[in-house]
Amino acid sequence: MSNDCPKERGRHGKKSKSDMVNLTGNIEQKDDMTLNRRAFLKTAAGASMALGLATVPFSLRAMVGLAEDDTEHVEIVQLDQLPRGESVTFNYPTENDPSILVHTNDGELVAYNSACTHLMCPVFYEKESETLLCPCHKGYFDLKSGHPIAGPPQRELPLIEVEVINGTVYATGRQYRHG
Amino acid sequence: MGKKTCWGIIFVTIAINVVMLQWTVEAWLGREYEITLVYSGVAVVSAFIAFFTLLQWRKLEYKTGTEKKPDASGQSGETDQAV
Ligand code: FES
Repeated sequence: MSNDCPKERGRHGKKSKSDMVNLTGNIEQKDDMTLNRRAFLKTAAGASMALGLATVPFSLRAMVGLAEDDTEHVEIVQLDQLPRGESVTFNYPTENDPSILVHTNDGELVAYNSACTHLMCPVFYEKESETLLCPCHKGYFDLKSGHPIAGPPQRELPLIEVEVINGTVYATGRQYRHG
Repeated sequence: MGKKTCWGIIFVTIAINVVMLQWTVEAWLGREYEITLVYSGVAVVSAFIAFFTLLQWRKLEYKTGTEKKPDASGQSGETDQAV
């Protein structure tokens, strides 16, 4: 055919006179041209660049976050309304950050953001075992440190610093990495 | 810089970028913003290195069109030509 695509007639084309092409006529030549080592290296380099550039949105958000500060005294509860072995929920630092304050059996006060670090289900206080439990996928957190001890969560719960002033418990700050 | 070195560098940058992406996300979730910037900077530099290494490799790869060097498997080396 006179209007053959030039590629068809070329060295790798079906009408090639090259011995190598004719010997390997049973191989899908198109695949040969697209699934080769050159394409592989180009894909690898592309993947490397994509991975590297995927970090950029995080650094942009980080630059915004550097200006933020979330220290503020927020009243949680009167201490005499929270006997040992009880917990209370509150929001800190914003209305969208559910949190839990626990008065442990030892008499300590500990507070964490209660959104599970796996998939954000609320975390509950289990009095008997003195742990924090996420019922969604059975994630357990250490009550004293907020670190995950079993199940899918990998990161610790953000710790909320509390202070008791005149019998009232206040949230005064938050730490993301702790212990 | 030879073609083999280019392959090596590109694979090293992939490894670095996988780790940097993981660390960046971790640092960001942990609100360690200064560290996020550092990791992200390393990842971007590494992405550029991958890009320029690819350009360098292309230069070497596609300029060898007329050479025919038989390799161990007995192929003619003809496939080194530009396509
Ligand atoms: S959401 Fe808590 S364990 Fe999955």
